[in-house]
Amino acid sequence: MKIKLTVNGLVYEHETAEHTTLLRFLREDLGLTGTKEGCGMGECGACTVILNGHAVNSCMVLAAEVDGAVINTIEGESTGPSLSDIQKAFEANHAVQCGFCTPGMVMSVKELLAGNKQPSVEEVKDAIEGNFCRCTGYTQIIEAVMDLTGRPGAKGELEHV
Amino acid sequence: MIYEFRYLAPKTASELVAILDGNKADGKILAGGTDLIPNIRNGLQKPRLVIDIKKYAGADKLAFGSDGLTMGPAVTINDILRSRDARERFPVLCECAHELASHQIRNRATVAGNVVNASPCSDMAPALLCLGASAVLRSASGERVVPFAKFFAGVKKTVLSPGEFLERIIVPASAAGATGRYLKLKRIAGHDLGIVGVLMTRAGGALRFAVSSAAPTPVLVESVTLKDSPDEAASKVLAAVSPISDVRGTKEYREHMIGVYVRRLLAEVK
Ligand code: FES
Ligand code: FES
Repeated sequence: MKIKLTVNGLVYEHETAEHTTLLRFLREDLGLTGTKEGCGMGECGACTVILNGHAVNSCMVLAAEVDGAVINTIEGESTGPSLSDIQKAFEANHAVQCGFCTPGMVMSVKELLAGNKQPSVEEVKDAIEGNFCRCTGYTQIIEAVMDLTGRPGAKGELEHV
Repeated sequence: MIYEFRYLAPKTASELVAILDGNKADGKILAGGTDLIPNIRNGLQKPRLVIDIKKYAGADKLAFGSDGLTMGPAVTINDILRSRDARERFPVLCECAHELASHQIRNRATVAGNVVNASPCSDMAPALLCLGASAVLRSASGERVVPFAKFFAGVKKTVLSPGEFLERIIVPASAAGATGRYLKLKRIAGHDLGIVGVLMTRAGGALRFAVSSAAPTPVLVESVTLKDSPDEAASKVLAAVSPISDVRGTKEYREHMIGVYVRRLLAEVK
């Protein structure tokens, strides 16, 4: 079947098999391999993209379901060589180690910040509870968000400082 | 996915009814997909036809009217958490919705899908049971209304017949204002099914308990009163459940924790 959708501001019209997941479609049909597959079944969040404004696991969505949708993926974050603010904050706070979880983490954080400019540590934890990171221990990721959003007094909410 | 199936997205409810009627044996309804798609991937379900229930006009209806709160089959868990009507009039729905899986899954999973799957560990079932909600089921032969107290038929089984679908959930206006708290035991936030879950609601002086992951179906207990001692309340709830031992916990552990939660919840309102 043919689907038409907007990914990172570009309109694509593309053939897809009816049983293809959005994750496969993005990676294999559109060549956008920034979005990762960890578990392929909704556990890890590596495949998180923003679908019509909401963070979802793209491994559990069919490409057929997103006909007409607006999608944001990690590829839409940087413009040429310059990183987005969220990416810069991740880099500055050592929130990236192996980097496999990062595309999904960034998308979850992006959805959070779209509706909440100065989240609390608890709110950040809620937003990324569906994203596994096996490297950082999460603290640097939360610090990156707090660093970026600058909530006064937020440092005190972090356990290790 | 390796497994191949056809996909249809009916644009009207009557088209949906006709498709379901013509594909009773091998059609499967797709709502949020957070159970169905991993199940297909893992070979646990093999539908020939996947029927998307989210695309027809009105499927995402979430509105409060004189009958109460009406939710169409495409209403997601996070739609509930974002709805002012739900937050202000039915905080119990939000209390349970917030405990369900992770943020990404709540953005996709639907309330209707959570109950139609009829998993013993459904998080929305306790809220719908305590609030006295009903399911409106529709098929080619018409509509019928089934209260959630009569909706679950066993592990992953409901009273839905082939060709029938859950067209809307109605939470009665008379349940507005009930408050409650849901205690769910799990190992990891966001990544785990419940080991047990106990919801206690209070409307005026009346208490209700609903327990998940403790019997083949979610269980409603209406016999506990504010006059009961903590031990009396715990034994009334425990008499209604029959937990099993599995990878997530033993029968004894589940029973113990249900008792702990019932006592704790009761202490909060005494
Ligand atoms: S790959 Fe989608 S949640 Fe893990
Ligand atoms: S940086 Fe390696 S999994 Fe998060």
